[in-house]
Amino acid sequence: MRLEAANLRSGYGTVPVLHAVSLTVSSGEIVALVGRNGAGKTTLVKTILGVLRATGGALRLDGVDITRLPPSRRVRAGLRATFQERALFGALTVSDNLRLNGFSSESHHRVLDVFGPALSGRGAQRTGTLSGGEQKMLSAAIALATGAPLLVMDEPTEGLQPSNVALLGDHIESARKAGRGVLLIEQHLELAKRLADRFIVLEKGEVVDGGPASDSDVAARVARRLLI
Amino acid sequence: MDALTLELLNGVSLFAILAIVALGLGIVFGLMGVINLAHGEFVMLGAYVAYVVHANGLNHWLSLPLAAVALFVLGVVIEVGLIRRIHRQPELTILATFGLSVCLRQIAELVFSKDFQSVPNPVPGATEAFGVLFPTYRYLLIAIVAVVVAVTLLAFTRSRFGLVVRAIVADRDLAESAGIRTGVTNLCAFGVGAATAGIAGALVAPLGAVEPQAGLAYLPGAFLVVIVGGYNRLWGVAVGALVVAAVQTGVIHFYDAVWAQIASLALAVMVLQFRRPTPAGAIA
Repeated sequence: MRLEAANLRSGYGTVPVLHAVSLTVSSGEIVALVGRNGAGKTTLVKTILGVLRATGGALRLDGVDITRLPPSRRVRAGLRATFQERALFGALTVSDNLRLNGFSSESHHRVLDVFGPALSGRGAQRTGTLSGGEQKMLSAAIALATGAPLLVMDEPTEGLQPSNVALLGDHIESARKAGRGVLLIEQHLELAKRLADRFIVLEKGEVVDGGPASDSDVAARVARRLLI
Repeated sequence: MDALTLELLNGVSLFAILAIVALGLGIVFGLMGVINLAHGEFVMLGAYVAYVVHANGLNHWLSLPLAAVALFVLGVVIEVGLIRRIHRQPELTILATFGLSVCLRQIAELVFSKDFQSVPNPVPGATEAFGVLFPTYRYLLIAIVAVVVAVTLLAFTRSRFGLVVRAIVADRDLAESAGIRTGVTNLCAFGVGAATAGIAGALVAPLGAVEPQAGLAYLPGAFLVVIVGGYNRLWGVAVGALVVAAVQTGVIHFYDAVWAQIASLALAVMVLQFRRPTPAGAIA
């Protein structure tokens, strides 16, 4: 499966945020999208999933134009996203959140065990009472366990302790090995370097740099752009 | 003692009528956040279904499922044609549903005329219980409302459909991102809300006149119940109906019906004053 954004534009009201962003993510690759705060990363995630309407350009999934499809149709087409904020229904229980994401009662433990014992047996707990890190883990676990061919993960490591960051990295790597494509929005540069096949740098709503992660020049340029 | 028992039974009967009339509004306004000023007209149309059933010599009880189906279909058409295009803009929803209520009244007038119609009581007579005679139809009404409200509450609290509705109410975008078809769910919820209003209309038809303006009398009471009981939780409708019925019955007992309406309104204003910032009523 291949996700392609071609000259994608979007914004909030009359304020444009993304200016002709083009990128691709294919099966079996991890593309790390990096950029400083306010670069438009979260806006891009929302536009890819359809929560925010594109004002121009096109979004294709395996060549099929999905630009005007509602988010639920995009999810059914194979796209899944985790959001930086508002990723779960806080007023509902953990089990309810799993049911809403299509997991049968029998498969709940499989999702909750993704991060070891941290979430095990927490099905009856109201999701809003989980810590920020636990909510991040649950959100990532749901996205990973859906088996969706294409994942868009917005800052999934934010608020996670180092051991869980490493565990999440292992799971994302496993997803790639299983032939899934991942667009990883990540501030944690070391993790991005470890996982990514390619880098894309977003600045002020435009793609300004990028290249293979194995290229040391690219990695150095990416690091410089984030530090300056 | 007998007078008090009778007052209590009248109170329970009022509670049942308020609950069934407000149930649909509790779904549409309380859960979905759609301010539907045409809800009273849905009740009025349900009453007209009962009238048509009677005019054609059919059994009155047939009007309950018929009203539910007819109003469900009407609700679906209105949701697709009107509500889904504007429901994120409350001011437009208010204007549009106000216009819709006027249209529905005019259509009822064109089809049935302005004349008051009546639907005869399908179960005339009274039953003696608790030492007093009380109309048998009202006992039946209370029982039917209890079943309809219980089934609706269960459907919205225990089923996957109810879970999905609650998720959409909490965060529509997030629900869509989980793959939930929010449009279809909203359509069904609006249809069910209209259907319960239709059942309410068919149930109350034998208790009063059936006429195009009849819906206007039901709308304020339904909103009072939802406001007092609290939005977001459908069981708040039952709580709100209980409180409003208790207040009205009590005030009618000591004063009169006019003061009962004023007391209900004052109660709703008080609840709104003390309401928490989240859209949940004082009691819920």
